[in-house]
Amino acid sequence: MAEELVPDWEDVARRYGRKIYNYAYRLTGNPDDSADLVQEVLLRVRKGLQRYTPGSFEGWLWRITRNAFLDDVRRRKRRPTVPLGDDDRGIGNPSPSPDEVLSSVRLSEDVQAALLKLPMDFRECVVLCDVVGLTYDEISDAVDIPVGTVRSRIHRGRKMLRDTLTWPL
Amino acid sequence: MASVIHACAVGELLSAYLDGELTRDELHVVVEHLDSCLECIAEFHELRDARTMLRTLPRLEVPDRALPDIHYGAELSAYLDGELPTGEQPVVFAHMALCEKCRNELYELDAARTAVRALPRLDALPDGSAHGRDGDANVIPLRRGRRSWLAASVAAAVLVLFVSLTSSDPQGPVLDLEVFSNQHVARESVQSPASLFSAELTAVDVSNP
Ligand SMILES: [Zn+2]
Ligand SMILES: [Zn+2]
Repeated sequence: MAEELVPDWEDVARRYGRKIYNYAYRLTGNPDDSADLVQEVLLRVRKGLQRYTPGSFEGWLWRITRNAFLDDVRRRKRRPTVPLGDDDRGIGNPSPSPDEVLSSVRLSEDVQAALLKLPMDFRECVVLCDVVGLTYDEISDAVDIPVGTVRSRIHRGRKMLRDTLTWPL
Repeated sequence: MASVIHACAVGELLSAYLDGELTRDELHVVVEHLDSCLECIAEFHELRDARTMLRTLPRLEVPDRALPDIHYGAELSAYLDGELPTGEQPVVFAHMALCEKCRNELYELDAARTAVRALPRLDALPDGSAHGRDGDANVIPLRRGRRSWLAASVAAAVLVLFVSLTSSDPQGPVLDLEVFSNQHVARESVQSPASLFSAELTAVDVSNP
């Protein structure tokens, strides 16, 4: 709290580029669109940083990211999304504890495919929470919905995801 | 589908419970309830598994092409005037050692600044900025002498920087940046103590520029 400095752009690119990419990839399953989104977001961040006043940086950044994503969706009219696992290399994910064995045998492609079946509103909140790691407050800020709505979307989203994985179509 | 239809409303709180997002009162209710309600205990385990699956999805690397070249055009004037925040100055300096584009831009800015400062009938304000009197745009040609002086001094600085970088650490500029990023990491961990996961991500990012 003591040092609420405005991050410089290179710092943002370095620290958040990967998070933004993972956010986009988990929402779309499309690596090319996701890479494009990272570029677009970083450009917008760069323009916006001059006007950024210290506050909730996460909220600010993810609002920009989300808007860029939505603009992109509108522009492309969303191509069909294809889950693919080729470059799903696990990096830095913690090794599963014994009671996570069941989940650890899940292929990440299954989870990705299940994610893509969620309605976008739910998928978005789940990804911001579980992939990006935002708090409910930050998600509320980024998506511009009440915290109570964040809470129920995450809850319902996870339940739907679990159902899809338990009873695959 | 498989969703358990819950009679008790407590089931609705279980995701927030897992995320550490309950109020104190809610937390109390949930903990107590989980002592006795088998349905909710089962639900809790399923939700926890779903959450774990999501949180252990592999972190994908950003394709290189997605990270654009980074330049400091916007900071160069402040750099010239010595007005950059202390932490930022070495970052920009280190960048210029490697970036001809920004170096050239710095020369141009310096030339422009010199020209403006050399305008006749100007009041030099205490803060170092200058304002033209009556919009008389007497364009003063850029002075070569000044430019080459700056070029030489930057070149010398660049050389010094290279030497110090190569002698101390081959990844020189990264070190400066990490000072920054560490500050942000600290800030972030204050803001979202619940998100262990994001801390892990950050740690990876920092160690793996
Ligand atoms: Zn219950
Ligand atoms: Zn540059």
